[in-house]
Amino acid sequence: MNRSHTTRYRTVDLLVTVVIGVAFGVAFLGYGQLYPLIGPLTTAFKPAEGLLAGIWFLPAMLAALIVRKPGAALGAEMIAAVLSMLLGSQWGWGTAISGLMQGGGVELAFLLTRYRRFTLPVAILGGVLAAVLEWGYEKFAYYMEMSWSFSFMMLAFFLLSGAVLCGLLGWVATRALGATGALDAMPAGRDRQPVSST
Amino acid sequence: MTSLSLHGLRWRPLSRRHRTVDGLDLEIPAGQKVLLAGASGSGKSTVLRALAGLLDEQAGDLEGQAAPPSRPGERGLLLQNPAHALVAATVGRDAAFGPENAALPRPEIHERAVEALDAARVDVPSSREPLATSGGQQQRIALAGALALEPDVLLLDEPTSMLDGPTAEAVREAVLEVAAGRTLVVADHRLEAWLPHVDRLIVLGERATVLADGDPDELLAARPHLLVEAGIAVETSTVDRRSADGPGPVVASLAGVDVHRPGSRRRRSEPPLLRGVDLELQAGTITVLTGPSGAGKTTLLQVVLGMAKPAAGRLALPSRERIASVPQNPEHSFVAPTVRQEVTASPWATDEALAEQLLTRAGLAELAEANPYTLSGGEQRRLAIIAALAQQPDLLVLDEPTVGLDAQRRRAVLELLEQARAEGRAVLAATHDPVLMQRADARLDLADGAGGDAPPVPPAGSDPSPDRRIGPVPRTRWIPADALNPLVLCLIGILAAIGSFAVDTWQGGLLALVPTVLLAPLAMRTLGGGLLRLAPILLSAAGLAWTTAFLGDAPSLSTEAWLLGAKEAARITAFVAPGVLALGAVDATALGDALGGRLRLPARPIAASVAGLVRAGHLGRQWQIITQARVLRGTGSPASPRLLTGATLALLVDALRGAEQQALAMDARGFATATTRTWALPSPLRWPDLIGAGIGVLLLVWPFVAEMMVG
Repeated sequence: MNRSHTTRYRTVDLLVTVVIGVAFGVAFLGYGQLYPLIGPLTTAFKPAEGLLAGIWFLPAMLAALIVRKPGAALGAEMIAAVLSMLLGSQWGWGTAISGLMQGGGVELAFLLTRYRRFTLPVAILGGVLAAVLEWGYEKFAYYMEMSWSFSFMMLAFFLLSGAVLCGLLGWVATRALGATGALDAMPAGRDRQPVSST
Repeated sequence: MTSLSLHGLRWRPLSRRHRTVDGLDLEIPAGQKVLLAGASGSGKSTVLRALAGLLDEQAGDLEGQAAPPSRPGERGLLLQNPAHALVAATVGRDAAFGPENAALPRPEIHERAVEALDAARVDVPSSREPLATSGGQQQRIALAGALALEPDVLLLDEPTSMLDGPTAEAVREAVLEVAAGRTLVVADHRLEAWLPHVDRLIVLGERATVLADGDPDELLAARPHLLVEAGIAVETSTVDRRSADGPGPVVASLAGVDVHRPGSRRRRSEPPLLRGVDLELQAGTITVLTGPSGAGKTTLLQVVLGMAKPAAGRLALPSRERIASVPQNPEHSFVAPTVRQEVTASPWATDEALAEQLLTRAGLAELAEANPYTLSGGEQRRLAIIAALAQQPDLLVLDEPTVGLDAQRRRAVLELLEQARAEGRAVLAATHDPVLMQRADARLDLADGAGGDAPPVPPAGSDPSPDRRIGPVPRTRWIPADALNPLVLCLIGILAAIGSFAVDTWQGGLLALVPTVLLAPLAMRTLGGGLLRLAPILLSAAGLAWTTAFLGDAPSLSTEAWLLGAKEAARITAFVAPGVLALGAVDATALGDALGGRLRLPARPIAASVAGLVRAGHLGRQWQIITQARVLRGTGSPASPRLLTGATLALLVDALRGAEQQALAMDARGFATATTRTWALPSPLRWPDLIGAGIGVLLLVWPFVAEMMVG
């Protein structure tokens, strides 16, 4: 595969990146219903909210694993962020910075492999890096007065969530999408076993 | 004008082991009108894409495709589902999309858009949202999108297969009118209506082998059984599968039911969409629900499924587990990794032996281990129906069960429904398929006024001389913030966020919020809407205050800790509130014009982002359908992580398949080469923007000043 194949965006690559961001922006509204599940825990102990943090990095992870081009992770996460901002996210412009941190973290992991490896360990690394960056931003912008011991506990929750809910779940979800045939036009779809039925 | 040619077209998608087109030669002289016939899966769509020069070499092994177009939009392409072709938030901007890609000057973009919308007989105003119009209107808007680039060739992929009879006829007329003087290639499995208007009929068999090619009249006279041999037409079966015992007891009934349009619950003054509907569904009968789109078919199905409450009237419905439903897009209901597991996925489908029997009945036994999403359209439809039947429901409810299927596949679906009837189930189907109507025992036509005294439904938004001017996306109510460029609105939020970091005491924080409170009314469209936008912020701020008071460095929950919490709450509110309020006046289209047209950011990513963002509402509606289909199957509650995971996967599949089709439609409108494009509307910076920038600077420095005042 020559270089222009790996970096040039076809129209379908652009649209898939965008649509992953938009679809998660829409699904996130539905996920709001998940927070009451851990509600009692987070009201009593805010750092536990980090347990679900990884879900918000999923658009970046899926875009990276599916489109496999530089910028896809960052692009999809920013689209999801912009959409929730336009719809009225409670974090305002903070959402854009979160998008930058989360998308940037995932992007960084794949950049380190020079966009050659799209395996589970790299995905987990991406989730972890996104978690570190997002935690750093939240500590600075939202939780500057939280004591460091609690902040580090929150970091632990973030890392766990990033590795499992973003890295592992994102990788599994991409495999599941591949099995549906919806990725056949995408680089990630090449891994699927050809079928003989029509 | 040039002729079109394929030389030994070969195509094997990467996901397939065998070629789907194997050595097709085709010459189409300029100006010829060609009808491409073939059963589903014969490769018609691939041939059209190859003629358009749009098959993707990265997605398969390809030989012999037509040369790429010599200019943007030289060959217009219309797809089966027009929703995939729509890219903009308004009808006018949609028609302007091609000319923008061709980098035409602004006055010409507007001229071309107006001419194209006229020619395609689009009869809604240009300010309307394309995805909110009816299917027929959408297909005409898509046609206008192609015409705006003055194509030499029109390539149409089953353009009317999802439309009801009269609507299909109107689209066909519009197509034939604009096809004069152009090359036309139509792929369709409904042939009769096209035949009188074409010069040439090409019948394709498996792998796009040419079974017949020539003058349509001569071909059909010489080989009367040609279409049946090709699997396009079927001999009508005369077997009557009506229940031997005749209709059984009533399993569900509606009496004098009034239904409001979904989402209009609060506006009680609006007359109900349906008034006084009476409906009795008997065991062992098929009832069809008919009427033009927008007449309320889907809404009434919602009532029967127990998912919408009528405003008045009496309902008698079977219990939840005795009703099964099949959504229009079967993929929306799929939950299992294999066909076999799909059949018994519902907790109410417990009979394994019945499941096996149903698989055989639907001709899916050999595919039992395949992933449901990888099946063809007809197979998916049959799978969704037998998965519903496996619940052994008293009532089976289907939304457009035969739409888009060719004659053979439609017959297979009809047979399943007739067997369900013979087993004594009540079947209710919303449909516009004349064959299904003919097989039904009863029919409720909503165009007739449903139950007598409902006012006639005006044909959704038709207008003899619609306003064609292309303007900004319309607002419900003007607010001062609308006078500002989106970039300035963004700037206000960003500067305010930076300024908020100056907050250092609770007194300073409260003072810092004063300008935001005073300016907020300028950015609130309605008081309720504005407060709704602010409520989550205040909740988060309260949460942050609590967290800080509880987990800060100060003794937990002491006065000192609470004051620190109050400061944090004020600071975070100053950080986000101005941005959230200002963004309320920003829409994706205007933002795209500003980023692409004014800031000259890379045109393709910006335009693709706008095309995606304007579909958010559409995807939101898909999400509703998907989660509802799962709840109806009894596979979980809307708050269960398992249901949300499956629903997200289904939404992504829907969105990804849509993206693939949309990319094709956009490339046919010159998007592939649109690295420099123009924008139909300017993104001006005017004197109010100076005031806006001033407000931004004020919000940047004010918290600092406020701290000095209290400190």
